[in-house]
Amino acid sequence: MRGNGLVRGDGRTLSDKIIDAHAVDPGETGAYREVRVDALLGHDATIALLVDEFERRGLEIWDRERVIFTNDHFSPPATIERADISNRFLRFARERDVTHLMLDRGICHQLLVESPLCAPGSLIVGADSHTVMGGGVGACATGMGSTDILYALATGRTWMQRPATVRVRFHGSLGAHCNGRDVVLELLRLLGESGARYRSLEFHDLGHVPLGQDDRFAISNMAVELGAKFGVFVPDEVTAAYCAARDGRRPDDLPAPDPGARYERTVDVDLSALTPRIARPWSPGNVVPVRDVERRPVSVAFLGSCSSGRLTDIRDAAEELDGKAVHPHVRFVVIPASVGVFQEALEAGYVATLTSAGAIFNHSSCGPCGGIDKGVLGAEDVCVSTSNRNFRGRMGHWESRTYLASARTVARAALAGHIGPDLYEAGGAREARGARG
Amino acid sequence: MMTIKGRVWRFGDDLNTDVIHPPQFFSLDDEKVKRGLFHGLDPELQPSLRPGDVLVGGRNFGCGSSRETSVRSLRLNGIGALIAVDFARIFFRNCTNNGLPCLTLARAEDLKSLCAGGRVEVDTERALVTTDTGEEIPLEPPGAFVRRVWEAGGLLSLLPDARTGWGV
Ligand code: SF4
Repeated sequence: MRGNGLVRGDGRTLSDKIIDAHAVDPGETGAYREVRVDALLGHDATIALLVDEFERRGLEIWDRERVIFTNDHFSPPATIERADISNRFLRFARERDVTHLMLDRGICHQLLVESPLCAPGSLIVGADSHTVMGGGVGACATGMGSTDILYALATGRTWMQRPATVRVRFHGSLGAHCNGRDVVLELLRLLGESGARYRSLEFHDLGHVPLGQDDRFAISNMAVELGAKFGVFVPDEVTAAYCAARDGRRPDDLPAPDPGARYERTVDVDLSALTPRIARPWSPGNVVPVRDVERRPVSVAFLGSCSSGRLTDIRDAAEELDGKAVHPHVRFVVIPASVGVFQEALEAGYVATLTSAGAIFNHSSCGPCGGIDKGVLGAEDVCVSTSNRNFRGRMGHWESRTYLASARTVARAALAGHIGPDLYEAGGAREARGARG
Repeated sequence: MMTIKGRVWRFGDDLNTDVIHPPQFFSLDDEKVKRGLFHGLDPELQPSLRPGDVLVGGRNFGCGSSRETSVRSLRLNGIGALIAVDFARIFFRNCTNNGLPCLTLARAEDLKSLCAGGRVEVDTERALVTTDTGEEIPLEPPGAFVRRVWEAGGLLSLLPDARTGWGV
C-alpha cells in the first residue's frame, strides 16, 4: 500500500498509520494486533479498582515516566469512602514512584493534553472514556476499562484493531456565537449516539479560519458520545503552535493520512452555517438548534468538565456576564478544567467578572459532571451544562434534567433563568433580565 | 465453551452505563456495587435477578462511561450473557475481559423473538440462542481474539508471567 502503486481508496488513514507504527509485530495480519502505547492515563476512581489485582499478581509498572495519574473524581474527597479510595490510589502511585502523579491539579484529560506525552502521532490509552480528547492534538487516544488498563500498565501493550474511519471535513469558519461544543453537538445531531461506533473520526479542518485548539478539544472529547474509538484531528499549524508553546519546541513530526486513504464515509460540515446547538435530556444525541428548544426555567448552570471548562469557555461566559447578574433562581457553578486554566482565568480577570456576576468557582475536578461532587442535581433541578453526557441520573437524581450546550449558551441561560429560542435573539437574554428589574 | 440458561430481560437502544449502574453506586464495596444495578431505572429489578439471566438490548448496548463497576455489578448479580444488535466498544471490551459474553445477533430482526421473561439457552460454541418455544436464533460467532480471552478465563490470564516477563 506504500509507494508509487498507491490506488485511490487503498491508502491508510491516520489511525491506520498510527496503529501500524506501534505494532509489536509489524508482520502480524490478524484483526487484533498487539501494540505499544506511548502513554497511559489514569485517575483515582478507575485506578483504585485495579490496585488489589495488580498487587496480588506482583506486577510492576512498565515505564513509570509514561504514566499520568491524577485524583480528579474525588478532589478533594467529600466522603470517608471516597477519601479511602483516593488514598488507596495515591499510595499505589507513590509506592511505584509514578513520575507524573499530579495531586489535585485538575481533570485527567486536561492534564494529558497539557503534557508533552500527548503528541501528534502518539498512541495513548486511559482508564476513562474521554481519553479520546488527546485526538485534539493528533494523538490516537482511547479510553478503556480497568482490566484493560491493568494489562497495559504492566506491559506497556494492549490489543487493538484498525478501526474503520469516518472522515469529517470542516469548511467555512465558525460564527461569533458558536464554538467546538456546537460543532460536536451538530455531529451528534447528524450521526446519532452510535454514528461512529467502533470507528475513528478523522477531523480535517479545511476552513479559512482554523478551529482553535480549545474547540478541537471539545470536539475530540465528545467523539466518544458518538461511539468513536478515536476522534483525531489531522495535525496542522494550529497543532504545531500549541505543542511548541507547551513543550518549548515544535513537534518532530506531523503525521498525515495517505492522500488516497480508505474512508468508510465522509461527512462535510459547513461551519459558517452553524448556529448554537443544545442536547435535550436524556441523550447527547437528542440535539436541536437552540432556536428550536422549548422554553424551560433552569435552576443550575454548569460550566466545567473535561469537555469544556477551558480558558476560551470561561472567556465566553465572562463576556456574556460582564457587568450583569446571574438570574436569582440559578446557581451557576464554574469549574476550570485544570489549575493551570484557573490561573490563566484569574490573570485574565474572568474569575473576577464571573464571581461579581454571581457565579461560584469550585476546585478543578470533575465536580457534578458524573453526579460526584458539589453541584449534584436534585429531583426538580433542570441543569444547562457544558459537560458531555446528559444521561438520565448521571448528574444526580433520576428525575433531574440536563441540557448540554456551549459555555456561551450556558452563560446566557444563567442570565435569563431559562433556556429557550430567545437566547440568541437580539437582546433576548438581556431583555429577560431587564424584565425582573 | 459455555452454555448459559436463564430468563430474558429486555432493554432498548443506547442503554448507557450510567443507567446500567448509576455513578452514586461507584464503590470498592462489592455489596454496594451489586445493589446499584439499574437502580434508577427500576429499583425492583436487581433483587429479581437470578444467576444465568440474560440481558437483551438493541443497538449500542453499554455506551458511555468506562467505569468497570457496571460490569462488576453484572457479574456480581450472576448475569450469564448479554445479547444485542451491537455493543459499544469500551463496554464490549470490559465484559469480554471479565469473561462475560457479549453476543451479537446475526439478524437484527430476531430481537423480537427474545421476549422479556422468556427462558433461553445460549450456546456460545454454536453461536446460537434457543428460546422456550424451540426457536433457534443465530448469533455472530465470536472472533478468534474474543474466544482466546474467554478460554483463558479473562484478559488477566493472558498476562505474561510477572517473574519471567515476555520471554522474547
Ligand atoms: S469531567 Fe466528567 S466526563 Fe470528564 S472525566 Fe470527569 S466525570 Fe468524566
